[in-house]
Amino acid sequence: MKLKRSYLEDKAYLVVDDFGDMRSLIKNMLLSCGVSDISVAVNGLQAIASMESRRFDVVLCDYNLGAGKDGQQVLEEARHRGLIGLGTVFVMITAENAREMVMGAVEYEPDSYLTKPFNKDLLRSRLEKLIAKKQNLLTVEQAMDRKDFTQAIHIIDEKIAGKPPNISELNKLKGEICLQAGEIDLAAAVYEKVLAVREMPWARLGLGKTLFLSKRYSEAKEVFQGLINDNERYTAAYDWLAKTYKCLNQMQSAQEVLQKATDLSPKVVVRQRALGEIALTNKDERTANAAFSSAVKFGRHSVYKHPSIYANLAKVTAASKTGGAGLKIIKEMEREFSDNAEASFYAAAAESVIHEGMGNAEASKKSLDRALGLYDTLGQHASTDYSIELAKTYDKLGDPKKAIDLLHQAVRNNHSDEELLSEVGATMESLGLQDDSANFIAEIRKEIVRLNNKGVQLAKVGKLEEAIILFEEAAEGMSGNKVVNLNAARVLLMNMEKNGMAAGEMGKVRLYLDRVKRVDPDNQVLRKLQIKFQEMVSRV
Amino acid sequence: MNFSDILASIIHDMKNSLGMVINTLEEITSAGDDANLDKHKIPVLQHEAKRLSNNLIELLTLYKIENERITASIDEVHVDEFLEEIVIDNQVFAQSKDVSLEYQCEPELTGFFDEGLVRGVINNLIGNGLRYTGSQMLIVAGMIDDHLVIQVEDDGEGYPQSMLDAQAAFDRNESFVEGHTQLGIYFAGMVARLHKNLEKKGFIRLSNGNHLKGGCFSIWLP
Repeated sequence: MKLKRSYLEDKAYLVVDDFGDMRSLIKNMLLSCGVSDISVAVNGLQAIASMESRRFDVVLCDYNLGAGKDGQQVLEEARHRGLIGLGTVFVMITAENAREMVMGAVEYEPDSYLTKPFNKDLLRSRLEKLIAKKQNLLTVEQAMDRKDFTQAIHIIDEKIAGKPPNISELNKLKGEICLQAGEIDLAAAVYEKVLAVREMPWARLGLGKTLFLSKRYSEAKEVFQGLINDNERYTAAYDWLAKTYKCLNQMQSAQEVLQKATDLSPKVVVRQRALGEIALTNKDERTANAAFSSAVKFGRHSVYKHPSIYANLAKVTAASKTGGAGLKIIKEMEREFSDNAEASFYAAAAESVIHEGMGNAEASKKSLDRALGLYDTLGQHASTDYSIELAKTYDKLGDPKKAIDLLHQAVRNNHSDEELLSEVGATMESLGLQDDSANFIAEIRKEIVRLNNKGVQLAKVGKLEEAIILFEEAAEGMSGNKVVNLNAARVLLMNMEKNGMAAGEMGKVRLYLDRVKRVDPDNQVLRKLQIKFQEMVSRV
Repeated sequence: MNFSDILASIIHDMKNSLGMVINTLEEITSAGDDANLDKHKIPVLQHEAKRLSNNLIELLTLYKIENERITASIDEVHVDEFLEEIVIDNQVFAQSKDVSLEYQCEPELTGFFDEGLVRGVINNLIGNGLRYTGSQMLIVAGMIDDHLVIQVEDDGEGYPQSMLDAQAAFDRNESFVEGHTQLGIYFAGMVARLHKNLEKKGFIRLSNGNHLKGGCFSIWLP
């Protein structure tokens, strides 16, 4: 079945190009297709500003935009910040074949690449098809916006059953949604079905992800390595291979893999950052320095620009050159992120370490106090990254006890997040805080699992009061732990269902669900509990 | 057959195109303000500019195949949409030469190949074909023996016997004679061989008199 073409005329367009001639050329093509609503932007910054002020149905963006953001960074920021919805068509216009960009892209891909030169008829035909595809997936996207992944998958299944020509695309989308929903087995089934017909790198990569998420790391490693052997430029496979090595506690191999990937495509900020961080864990300051420098350089106009990159660069610079050089980077960082509490926290923590290294005990203490104040303002369950950063700071300042307390708390708050746990473990060992971190972490984990099981069991046999006490206490001690907070909310809801609504308990449910929403907004258990809670509230 | 031979050949061809563009522009400007500007000159410019652009894309791709060991990034492609775009893209030039350019394939047909690479090949073949054809060009796609076969046909004189005889050599990547037609075929063969599925590798074939009476180039993708 061929998709019905869609009309272009009534849609809103944004044309982004730094060359005036090209802008008017594209604009004229659109005008002659009968389009009237056309906005233009001459650079990435203007493009973002336009998308902030209104919604567009179609964005035609050149990849090369001179100084400032490039097309990929415009796309990343627009999708990352939700400036364009899933229903917006984003077309990347490139000077030549787009294969490097496809291979180098990490998270966001445009809906289509259009190679210059192209004529009006080609543009029209391409846009008609793209808009029709978006409309065909409208219901899926609406379900995704509601985070109703079950419904989204259901709709795609119905479409796949019709055996349309774009079935490959639908399978790809279904796999991604299943992964996002945490439906690992469903995702694996999608990928296996595709691979049974034909070897496809995206499906193989997807299968590798399902193995990784099922904690079958050595099998995942084989898959990612195999993809790289087949195509050494497939950088997404490198990223997953590095994650896998991290979970296998092979930090040196993880670093080597990321090094190769950044050599192949140096402009990806998240990857440079990951390389810098792992190099720090491995005490390879030269690599860390190079990686953070690149991350700063390529990230200047990117939505992935992050204060921790600057803070780490400042610290390695201070250690390898002079404290003054490090402090200079902190100054630059404060200019780049004005009025940003998170950045102030990272700046203060790094400053305190640098001053300590320069022998300025007083200045160091002052910065630390500032960092602590900001840490409280930010809220300690906002991000485990802050706790780890602060732990590293305490360690450098010669206070291992406070460092280890923070890292223990990080473990307790994230007992089911394998990658983060290995990172914390590696941090403990590289700081010399814990000899047998793997064993230690496993112990904490067992304890939390036991506690959760006990609470669930109590609730099952009807001892709700006891279960509530247990989970509330646990949630008090592990305010960042998803599983504990979800369980606490669940038993409170069960209790209210049985004994009627109570204002105090409702407030608590809200608190627990909000905590989870902050760290994992896509969580499907969270979604079910939210729906249930809303139903109960509306019945009152 | 090495890269510098190819480079020399493509440069030669682009120099010819540029020569045509410069001469035509001179003719147009020397006509001055004459309102009877020769409209027939425009398609010449269009054609040569398109040719330059195709050549550059081909050159870049060859460079990458030689130097960066790229592999085909194979995905499932809806062939009807793919060919429709190619025909739209080349329609203006075909019309300016009074050639009818059409394609035929099952609307449901899908194939597995690298869209960018194969697009480059077909664009080149159309560009060349427009030189040799009479009044018609046809692109036909279908499945034969588990291969997606895309044929580019014209109603001109057909390929000379020497080229038909040299087919085996194309497969081995040898036998390269001056002239752009052969270069295009060399490029096509390279792209075809980048496409692999299980034990099978893509290849190309030349023949005469298929649907149309002239030359028929086919690329077979496993």
